[in-house]
Amino acid sequence: MAFYDGLFRALGLESWCGTGASDAPLSMADLMAQSRGDGAASGPMFPFPSLDNLNESCGNFAQTRDLTKGLEDGFLAVKDDIKAVLDPITQPLSWLLDGALWMFAAIPWFIMIPILVAIAWWASRSVAVTVFVAFSILLLAFVDHYDVAMQTLSIIFVCTGISILLGVPIGIAMSKSDRLQKTLVPVLDLLQTLPTFVYLIPLIFLFSVTESKLYGIAIILYAIVPVIRLTDLGIRLVDKDVIEAANAFGMSSNQRLAKVELPLALPNIMAGVNQTIMMSLAMVVIASLVSAPGLGVNVLRGIRNLELGVGIVAGIGIVLLAVILDRVSKAALSRVDLTRKSH
Amino acid sequence: MTDTPKVRLRGLYKIFGSNDKDMMQYVRAGMGKPELLEQHKHVLGLQDINVDMMAGEITVVMGLSGSGKSTLIRHLNRLIDPTAGEIIVDGIDVMGLSDDALRKMRQEKMSMVFQKFALLPHRTVLQNAAMALEIQGVDEATRTAEGMKWLARVGLDGYEHHYPAQLSGGMQQRVGIARALTANTDIMLMDEAFSALDPLIRTDMQNLLLELQAELHKTVVFITHDLDEALKLADHLVILKDGAVIQQGEPQGILMNPSDPYIEDFVSDINRARVLRVKSVMEPLTGSKFAGDVDIRDNLESLIARSEGDTSLHYRVMDGDVPVGELHMRDLVKALVPRISSAA
Repeated sequence: MAFYDGLFRALGLESWCGTGASDAPLSMADLMAQSRGDGAASGPMFPFPSLDNLNESCGNFAQTRDLTKGLEDGFLAVKDDIKAVLDPITQPLSWLLDGALWMFAAIPWFIMIPILVAIAWWASRSVAVTVFVAFSILLLAFVDHYDVAMQTLSIIFVCTGISILLGVPIGIAMSKSDRLQKTLVPVLDLLQTLPTFVYLIPLIFLFSVTESKLYGIAIILYAIVPVIRLTDLGIRLVDKDVIEAANAFGMSSNQRLAKVELPLALPNIMAGVNQTIMMSLAMVVIASLVSAPGLGVNVLRGIRNLELGVGIVAGIGIVLLAVILDRVSKAALSRVDLTRKSH
Repeated sequence: MTDTPKVRLRGLYKIFGSNDKDMMQYVRAGMGKPELLEQHKHVLGLQDINVDMMAGEITVVMGLSGSGKSTLIRHLNRLIDPTAGEIIVDGIDVMGLSDDALRKMRQEKMSMVFQKFALLPHRTVLQNAAMALEIQGVDEATRTAEGMKWLARVGLDGYEHHYPAQLSGGMQQRVGIARALTANTDIMLMDEAFSALDPLIRTDMQNLLLELQAELHKTVVFITHDLDEALKLADHLVILKDGAVIQQGEPQGILMNPSDPYIEDFVSDINRARVLRVKSVMEPLTGSKFAGDVDIRDNLESLIARSEGDTSLHYRVMDGDVPVGELHMRDLVKALVPRISSAA
């Protein structure tokens, strides 16, 4: 009947295979093929020996959907244990996110906007950038997007802060150990290339969607990569002659890290921070699928209800935030760069 | 100056490669650098180095690139660990030191000046100069005072608050020297310290080093590939080739009696009149009629100028107020022609 029947007969595996008819529930495709009354004969001349095709001839072969089901069952089996460990560890993240959201909402706009503008001035020391920041926030507030923009901003502040706090030490450790670098690089590649929706799925199983750490973790996992990579790179790129001089004058490895390596790697680390900010902004929009508040929610509403205007205004709001964050962090970066080339 | 050497290298070997210790047997059995590379894929960096460096002297290690001179100087403070052999500084075997003791030794006994300056680009000149003291945990006021003092001594007063990138190469290397001097160590390691500078500035820096040395009497180990520089600075000259010492001794002696065709080639190119001194060509005092007195440390060039090219003259050689020998201009002229390679 099926293409590979002959193969199993020839190998003498007929009895092991049993009748050849699997008890597994039929797939939709099979069902439709059956209802049309034609069997496997209508398939391609020489089908690829995939799990599904082999299953047709020999019931002892699993079907591909058993694989995906197995993955799911396996995950569900260990889920409670993982949750028992991860839940308490990540709980502070929920508090931080909720706290930041509450704080940004509680501080009235006429105090908050000057604070943000002052931060922009402190970081960039550039009149143009500061004026642009003030203008953008006022514009967002004018079209009644102040609250959602502040929600997005508070999530980004918390997630970027934690990414830097965790990422810089990991990057330092990576730069000191070639073995750690070799093991971590594939993990970082995976985190960066895995479609963002995919790692939302296990997180939804682990944590309730009402908890803010769910999207916090998703954002941090995605955004921490550049700061780790560039810290590692920055430290590895520090001039070998300068390191040798530090050693020749008897610096301990801690002194060397604090006085030589980190200061000289700072421009690269700052570039990593800039990338981390940009990536958390990208992720915070997708995270609105799992209840992250902010501008992303409006974008989502625009898609769901086909409210074109809502989507576009929220989208432009995100662009404005992105440009603000990018310009401020880039200006801060070039300021750091200047002090070492100094004129 | 004492008779016990400040730094002694005894039977020092360095082999680069993953199995360096196992390679020692082949090298001890007499295998050379090319064979070791071809048969065992290991590079012989240094072989059987025995050098005594006296306190208060400038020991110059000279060799072409690839001769192992930079490797050698890095063994003294163990930036590179030897494969075999002893490094004895002030009677203590450096190889036996723990990590902490080694750091302490680098802080207190040896400072280093680098070819590419290796200053901290994010620190001011003053902070760079005071780096060694900062590592030792000295308080800020002392650090600043010491840094200022040595910066002034190397001629950089007024530049304390500049950043290294704002200075020229020569000035940056002055900071490098000030940094080494501020560390207040007995031993100064100078790894091609002046090679990256242009010729005029290099001469300035050489004079600065000699001036400082006359005052401070440090034990200086100076690496160079430039024979003129080596002859100008050296109290003790070590010539390296392919990781082995082929001749060492007082520079004038090496110039007059090169022991190896390789060194003869080397010395044939230099301006002998400027390098050779009266001491190297004088003879015992016998005559009595002299055209004048010359100092034992004068170089031959100054004598030629003084005699206006007259080869029939004789001079009395003085060491301070004491007559110590005589010099015939004819001998002087002969000494100017290098002994041609034995083959010729």
